Parts: sequence; structure tokens; C-alpha cells
Amino acid sequence: MAEEKFSVIIIGAGPAGSTAAYLLALEGLDVLLIERGESPGCKNMYGGRMYSYALNRIIPGFWEEAPIERRVVTERVSFVTPERTATLNFQDAHWNKEPYHSFILLRAEFDAWLAGKAEEEGAILACGIRVDDVIKEGDRVIGVRAGDDEIFADVVIVADGGNSLITERAGLREKPQPAQVATGVKQIIELSQDLINQRFQIASDEGVANLFVGACTREVPGGGFLYTNKNSISLGLVVNMAAVQQMKYKIGELLEDFKSHPHIAPYIEGGQVMEYSAHLVPEAGYNMMPRLFDAGILVAGDAAGFVINLGYLVRGMDLAIASGEAAAKTILEARAKEDYSRQGLSIYQDHLKNNVVLRDLEMYRQAPHFLENSRLYQTYPHLVTSMLGEMFTVEGTKPEHIMGRALKQVKNAGVGITNLAKDAWKGGRSL
Amino acid sequence: MAGVWILADNHDQILELLAAGRSLADDIGMGLHLLLWDREEKSGEYFSYGADEIILLPALADGQPLSVYIPLIAEEAAREKPEVFLIGGSNRCKELAARIATRLETGLCSECTAFHFNQDLKRLEMERMIYGGVGVQTVASTSKPQMATIPPRTFSPGSPLEGREGKTREITGALETPVRVLEKKAKSKEQVNIREAKVVVCVGRGLENEEDLQLARELAEVLGGEVACTRPIAEELHWLPEETYIGLSGQVIKPHLYIGIGVSGQIQHTVGIRDAKTVIAINRDENAAIFEVADYGIIGDLYEVVPQLTRAIKEKVKS
Amino acid sequence: MPRIITCFKWVVDQADIRVVPGTDELSLDRVGYRISEYDRNCLEEGARLKEQYGGEVVGLTVGIPGAKKSIKDALSRGPEKAYFVTDPSFSNLEPGQTAAIMAAAISSQIEYDLIICGEGSGDLYAQQVGPRLAEMLGIPCAVFVNKIEIKEKEAIVECKVEDGVEVLALPLPALITVLPDINTPRVPGLKDTLAAGKKPVEEITLQDLNKSFDPYLETLNVRATSMERTCEKMDAGSEGIAKMVAVLTKAGVIS
Ligand SMILES: Cc1cc2nc3c(=O)[nH]c(=O)nc-3n(C[C@H](O)[C@H](O)[C@H](O)COP(=O)(O)OP(=O)(O)OC[C@H]3O[C@@H](n4cnc5c(N)ncnc54)[C@H](O)[C@@H]3O)c2cc1C
Ligand SMILES: Cc1cc2nc3c(=O)[nH]c(=O)nc-3n(C[C@H](O)[C@H](O)[C@H](O)COP(=O)(O)OP(=O)(O)OC[C@H]3O[C@@H](n4cnc5c(N)ncnc54)[C@H](O)[C@@H]3O)c2cc1C
Ligand SMILES: Nc1ncnc2c1ncn2[C@@H]1O[C@H](COP(=O)(O)O)[C@@H](O)[C@H]1O
Repeated sequence: MAEEKFSVIIIGAGPAGSTAAYLLALEGLDVLLIERGESPGCKNMYGGRMYSYALNRIIPGFWEEAPIERRVVTERVSFVTPERTATLNFQDAHWNKEPYHSFILLRAEFDAWLAGKAEEEGAILACGIRVDDVIKEGDRVIGVRAGDDEIFADVVIVADGGNSLITERAGLREKPQPAQVATGVKQIIELSQDLINQRFQIASDEGVANLFVGACTREVPGGGFLYTNKNSISLGLVVNMAAVQQMKYKIGELLEDFKSHPHIAPYIEGGQVMEYSAHLVPEAGYNMMPRLFDAGILVAGDAAGFVINLGYLVRGMDLAIASGEAAAKTILEARAKEDYSRQGLSIYQDHLKNNVVLRDLEMYRQAPHFLENSRLYQTYPHLVTSMLGEMFTVEGTKPEHIMGRALKQVKNAGVGITNLAKDAWKGGRSL
Repeated sequence: MAGVWILADNHDQILELLAAGRSLADDIGMGLHLLLWDREEKSGEYFSYGADEIILLPALADGQPLSVYIPLIAEEAAREKPEVFLIGGSNRCKELAARIATRLETGLCSECTAFHFNQDLKRLEMERMIYGGVGVQTVASTSKPQMATIPPRTFSPGSPLEGREGKTREITGALETPVRVLEKKAKSKEQVNIREAKVVVCVGRGLENEEDLQLARELAEVLGGEVACTRPIAEELHWLPEETYIGLSGQVIKPHLYIGIGVSGQIQHTVGIRDAKTVIAINRDENAAIFEVADYGIIGDLYEVVPQLTRAIKEKVKS
Repeated sequence: MPRIITCFKWVVDQADIRVVPGTDELSLDRVGYRISEYDRNCLEEGARLKEQYGGEVVGLTVGIPGAKKSIKDALSRGPEKAYFVTDPSFSNLEPGQTAAIMAAAISSQIEYDLIICGEGSGDLYAQQVGPRLAEMLGIPCAVFVNKIEIKEKEAIVECKVEDGVEVLALPLPALITVLPDINTPRVPGLKDTLAAGKKPVEEITLQDLNKSFDPYLETLNVRATSMERTCEKMDAGSEGIAKMVAVLTKAGVIS
């Protein structure tokens, strides 16, 4: 067989890779999309919700055909201590209308669907193949190596996700520090659709996204999440790696604890665990980005650190898709000029800025630092819940004015008014 | 003449099928017929175990495989129209069963683990495992004979009834096949009986070397048990005899205690230990499926855990 | 130089099957599918024989249109061409039907000297399709084989039987079902996968066969089997060991 050469090789059929593959194949390029899993998405794990704007730009009205669980109509943030929970409930009538704001979906099906779209347009999808490295000629990337096989291309897109070995091997970044990454664990708990509708007071295609701060992570930096799927609930935790390494419990134990929390337990009662998974989340966002491009190579999605983790929400899918789009646009332009040099690919940066990714990442660049603040996970959940606890608990003791109570709580919590004010200011600015 | 027909290629299974076939024949109100090619004087014994008739096939010529009987049996069955035809689940007999069923244009329930005769619908309802053992499927045949292959040891042999008699009928016909048996290599029968053992220590692919079997042997010894294994250990690595692997295609055991070490716990294996009283697992992967079907599990490296456990048991026994 | 047909089936991944909570029903709602585990050995044996004796190898599968997804995977494991016999009604075929469909497809258009099937399929594990197919095609057959050699117009095979091994000589054309220990299936590489995408796939529809294939068996029900266990996990270490010794004592196996 003659040496195989493609216009583009894409490593990883996650949302970033498949989006790029789809757009490039649509333009008639020879695209090879390589995925390590037996099928796209089979091993991919995330919380549960995708903001729809990015994909809607590429496949308008995608929800008509994509495998979707439910659309998010209710957003909740809960502060939890072992006994108490304070929840902020938010609804926006717009979210329930087209174009829907965000969707809950399961990756195994969604990723396979998106990769399938790329295949329909003529991209070649090779599953069950792990790319080991890129091949370079001088400084320029000219192909990939998988096992004994070498395949060549004009340009390679690295979209191999958060734990990107390829960017490390290609010399685009250092191995991330434990403090820069978080671990996510998640269980999918099966429950009947009726029971979910009933417990969450929602219609069959409507969903709830609930994020948790506080005791769900035994007060380690991180948070919990709950998403309602069609006939199951995704429940999980995201915890900072460095913190996990320091503590003595296993992250699995944290999750078991979380499941038995009095606020959570009733929602999942009677459910059966269908799936358990764990995955890395690049946490440091803007601050841990690799070089995003070099001669013959582009990096997209989580591999590029395009994740915004605000504690109360994790955004990655939309950024992955938007960055896949930017990579595709970059390549189409570079191709017109037949220039895949570092210079030729440098427009990637501009495309990323124009299409949300870099703009949003820059905006939230202080967030990771802010989120390291332990008061967020230890003190404030206590503060909020005990304040509300005192407000709402009537046991025949002498009542007190709200302000007085609040100040007492702040004092008891040992935060100090100045810290509180400082955190509020910082939080306001970085989130 | 209809009736219940049975066929198996070894004595133990003939007895098992006679027991099962006898009660079925009584339920249906028909005779029990045993197909036999072995000319040793066992007929009397088979009558006493419940056969009404022995249908004696011609003897095999040298170098002829068992499958040579297929046309003859199929023709006889087409003529006699048995209601039910039960066949032993040995490798050779499974081939026979499938090919006879094809000739008779009827269904076959493979590896039937239980059946009962539905008197109202006058049909045999047969159970078998599907999806590797995740489910049990109940089937009935819409054509006759209603056929099944029965895995060894599914039924216990009955007890003989002194003086019970039957008749023998020989059938004749040419035995022709293009297939030749060139050689038979007998296997030395090792005396392991994991089915009777009260304690079974089962090793899986988590074991790195054949020598490491010693770890399992020592543990089995202090517990007074036998060493068993998963299919790949017996069939791919050949570290232990084939009679010692547990599961869907191996042995089904009912010990007081099963300890799986370095066993992942795939369903095809664990169907074989469903009736164990207590199941213990040692595996270093905390998400291994075996923990879901174990009463107690130790998450850890078997090379550390097993010697420690063996030592601790020894001490406990001493004290 | 033998022309070989290797048969593979697309089956549910049984690890994805769930028991509907509170019932003994199985839910196949979210199951993945893959090539039946032991059919990988079957495909590998075809590839191996071709490497040794030359000739050609094709793949054959019968299934619903969705089973098409299995074909690229199968082709990356050796066959040069695939025959895909398909109809939406082929969803719960019993072995008798499958064999009849395969026999019809083979007789209508595939030339062969040797057909290889797996020991048993991952979902039904009926171990019937091979011998039934041989019977329908009127060719000799050997089952549970763990070694194949081809000598002139004969296959010399070793069959595993309960009391040892039987070595058989089968004149070709013949059918052989192979055990998983006959070989270790190769893991297809990137180039194998790319090449697979370019290999021809011949689709044969029910209309093409112009026949009906009726079942002989009626499935009355399918129930989940379950195993209720305590599922208590402990860590390695002296505490865990001590606890285990207590468990063993309580189980009455040590005193
Ligand atoms: C616990 C957790 C919760 C999250 N919650 C959310 C959420 O609710 N909403 C949201 O929008 N985002 C969430 N995210 C982030 C989101 O999952 C990611 O941002 C998104 O999946 C990134 O897409 P990607 O295509 O860049 O990478 P991935 O989805 O990780 O895909 C990478 C693909 O590359 C493949 N691959 C890896 N290495 C190789 C190799 N060497 N060769 C071939 N293939 C390879 C992988 O198998 C994988 O399919 C969460 C993440 C985690 C971990
Ligand atoms: C139709 C069909 C029928 C089958 N019938 C049977 C059958 O009857 N019986 C049977 O057994 N199988 C059967 N199988 C095969 C079955 O599916 C599994 O492949 C097999 O049981 C796996 O064997 P294993 O657990 O030894 O190996 P693996 O699945 O490879 O598991 C090894 C385990 O060891 C653990 N481990 C590794 N190192 C260590 C260490 N140092 N310390 C502790 N743990 C360690 C690993 O975490 C892993 O869980 C059948 C399959 C099919 C498709
Ligand atoms: N639908 C199918 N298509 C192709 N081959 C099949 C199919 N079903 C069974 N086989 C082959 O027959 C063997 C035995 O299957 P079974 O009789 O179902 O256990 C399998 O290992 C396959 O090689």
C-alpha cells in the first residue's frame, strides 16, 4: 500500500475533535479522526450539561437529531453542611424555548453521534486506536504514530482531552501539577422517568442542574453536581487533585458520603448504580494553557486547557466545540495559502478570541486562584446554612434581628468581616 | 410410537437423563427410549433406571466419528416421531443434537438447565441462560420433537428399581461419513473434584506466573479446600486442568465458601458460583465486577494479601 | 489455496444489560454492541490460515441493518471482503434461522473451501449455528477445534472432547467451529483500520434470498438472574485481614 497521507489528522473524537472533523470533512478535506476508545464517548466522562450556543452555530437546531436527555429548565446552587442545605433556585422562561440554553446529555451517545456526523461527511473514523506520539520533521509535525503504524498529514489537531499526553510529547506543555488539575468522580444512578419527574417536579423533557458547595467534599476545594437524565441521575464530585493527595480518604468514599447526605439521599433512593467513572479536569484554565499551535499542529478542547471551572459550574463542552470550530477555520485558511507553518497557523489565536473561547477564559482567569480559597468550602457553607438555620428555626427561644444574627454567625464562623468583604469582592471580580 | 428419547455418550449422563426422562415420560404418559451404541452389558442396568426401550445402533467401524450416526438417528426419529428428545451436553453430542435438529427441521434448546411439562398446553417449557448468564430464557418448541441438550450434572441420577425390564430393538443401516478419526489422545484424569469441595480457592488472570499457584494452594490447604480457576487459566494458559474452571462453559459449584483471587468477575464466570454460600474476592481494582457479587472483598494486591491471609488463618487455627 | 469464510456475529455487550429495579426484567435500553468475543478467534484463525496457506478470506455476518457497524471492525481483523446479510426482521434470530439464512446466502453467491465459526455466540451461546450450517450445506463438520492444519484437500483438526483430544481428517469443503484457545486475536492497528474502510462490503437482503426463515422456538420469557450479596469491601492491611479471618470463622471453614 502506498504511504497514506491525509489533509488533517485529528487525535481524539471528543466534542473538540469531532467538531473539527465535521467542519473539515464538510469542506471536502481528507480527514482522519482517531479515537482510543472502542467507540467515541465510551470512556468519556463529564458532569452532565452542555451549553448549546456553540454547537447551534455549527449544526443549527441540533437538538432535533442529537441524543439529548433533557433540557435544563431549573438551575440550583446548594450550600451544604452535614445537616443543613441552603438552595438557590433559578428559572428563566427563555431556557425552555428554542434555542434552548443548555442540555443534559450522556456522552457515550452524544459523542458517538457527533463523530457519526463527521463520518457522514466523509471523515474516516478509526476507533480503538491510541495515538502514541506525533511525528516531526525538524520542528514541523508531519503525522502521527500509533503502535507500529505511521500516518502522515499536512496538519494534526490534538484534541485528546484533559490528560493530554500528546501535547506533552509534542513538547507543547509540561506535565500539569496536581494543584492544576481536579479529579471528577461520577455515578449514574438509574431511576424511572416518572420517579425523576415526580421527585424534581419536572416534565419528561425538562431537567434540573444542581451544584453543591460545602460538606459534599468534606470541605476540600471542589463541588458536587447532580443532573437529571431521562431515566437516571448523574451525581458526582469534582475535587482538587492536590487536596485529594493530602487527605486520607479516597475520593470514592467522598462520593458515598455525598450520596447519603440528607438532601441527596431522597432524590436517589431506590436507584441502582449503573456506571461509575473518574476523570481529570484541567482546573487552572487560562493559566495552564499549552502552546496552542506550532508548525503543523493545533491543540483544541481540554487538551488546550479550555475549561472554565467556577466551582458552581464547569464549562468545557461548549469551549471544546468552539475551539474545534476555530481549529477547522484556521486550517481552511492555512490550506488556501498552503502554509501550515507556525506563522500560517497563528490565526488560530484570533479565531479563538472571536468565538468566545479565549475571551471567556481570559475573563475568568482569576477564578482558579479564587477557588483555591478554603473558606469557600469550609466556612461559607456553614455560615449561610447556620444563618438560615437560625432564621427559620423556631424553638421558643428569644428571637433576634437578622443583622445581629448574621454578624454573630460571621463571628462564630471565625471569618472576620474583612475577609468576608475581601472574598466577596474577589469573587465578584473573578467569577 | 412417540415417546421421550434420550441419548448421551457417557454412562453418568445416561443415568442423569434416564432420571429426568423417566419423570417427564410419566408426565406425558409415554415411554422412555434410550439410544445406545455401546454393546457392553449395561442394558439391564438402564432398564432398572427407567428405560422402557433401548434402541441399539450399529457398532462404529474403526476410525468412524460419532457424527456418523446422524442420518440414521434422524431417519429413525422421522419415522417414530418422538415427542421429546433429550441429548447429553458433551462436545460431541452437542454437534449431534444440532445436526439432527436441522434434519428434523425442529428447534433445539441448547444447554437446558431446567424444564417442565406444561400439562395444559402439552408442551415442554425449557430454561437456558442467555447473555453470558445475565438472564434466563424460557423457550418452547413449536415443532416436534421438542429437543434440548442437557449439561452434565444438571440432574441427579435416580435409583435403580430391581426387576424393572424393557425391550431392546436394533436398528440397522449403512454408516458412512467422509470424516475419519485419525487419533484419539486420552487425557490423564486428574483427581480434582471442585464440585464436591466445601471450600474453593479460585485463581484468575491476576496471577502472573504459574509458580504463583502455590499461593493459592497454600491458602486452599489451610482452609481444607481445592484450587479452581477461570477459563483463561485453564484453556489459554493450561496451568490447571480443564475440569477446574468455573462458569458458563465450565463447572457450576455450590461450595460453602468461594475465594476469588485476581478474578475480574465477568458474568460468564460468576454464573458458576451463584449458589456458593459465601463469596470472597481479592482484587486490586476496586471497581472489579467481582466485588458486586461478593459478600466480602479485599481491595489489594493478591501478592500481599494472600500470604498475609494464609498466615493469619494458620495462627487462628493454632490458637 | 483455500477460500475461507469466517463468520462473526454482532452481539450486545452483556456488561451493559441492567436489571429493571425492583423487577426481574432485563433492560437493554442502553446497551452497546460488539463483535462476539469468540468470533475474534474465528476471524484470527481465518487470517492465520491465509498467512500460512494463501488463498482468500471473507467475513460473513447476519444481522439487522445496525449490525453494519461491526463490519469495519471485522474487516480490520483480516478478511478481504465482507458479506452482510441483513433485514430489519433479523433482530432476534434463533440459531436455526441464522444457519438457514447463512446457508441460503452462501449457496447463492459465496464460493468456499472452509467455513469457520466461533465456539458459541456471546449472547445466545447456543453452539448450534456452525453444525446446523454444515448440515444444511451438506458438508462435514468438526466442532470445538483448537488446531487446524490444511493438507491438500483435507483439514486435519484437533477437537477437544471430554476425555481428551480427537484428531479428525475432514475432506474440504468443510465447516469448523473453533475454541478461543486456538489463537490469540491480534489487535488491529491504525493501518489495518484504515485498510478495512476500503474493503468491499457486499450486502445481501432478505429479498435477494427470496425465502422465508421461520423460527422453531418460541421465547416465553426472559428473566434476570440475580445474586444477592453483602458486597462489603475492605482495605488490604492488618485490619482487613483480621476481619476476613473473622468472616471465615463465622462461615465455619476455620475453627
Ligand atoms: C467531572 C467532570 C465534570 C464536567 N462537567 C461538565 C459539564 O457539566 N459541562 C461541560 O460543558 N463540561 C464539563 N466537563 C468538561 C468536559 O467534559 C470537557 O471539557 C470536554 O469533554 C472536552 O472535550 P474534548 O473534546 O476536548 O476532550 P474529551 O471529551 O476528553 O475527548 C478526548 C478524546 O480523545 C481520546 N483520546 C485521548 N487520548 C488519545 C490518544 N492518545 N489517541 C487517540 N484518542 C485519544 C479520548 O478517548 C476522548 O474520546 C466536566 C469534566 C469533568 C471531568
Ligand atoms: C461465551 C463465553 C463463555 C465463557 N465462559 C467462561 C467460563 O465458563 N468461565 C470463565 O471463567 N470465563 C468464561 N468466559 C470468559 C470470561 O468472559 C472472562 O474473560 C474470564 O472469566 C476472565 O478471567 P479472569 O478474571 O481470570 O481474567 P481477567 O478478566 O483478565 O481479570 C484479572 C483480574 O485480576 C486483577 N489483578 C491483576 N493483578 C492483580 C494483583 N496483583 N492482585 C490482585 N488482583 C489483580 C485485575 O484487576 C483483574 O480484575 C466466557 C466468555 C464467553 C464470551
Ligand atoms: N448472526 C450471525 N452471523 C454470522 N455468524 C453467526 C451469527 N450467529 C452465529 N454465528 C456464528 O456461529 C457461531 C455459534 O453461534 P451460536 O450458535 O449462536 O452460539 C458464532 O460464534 C458465529 O461464528
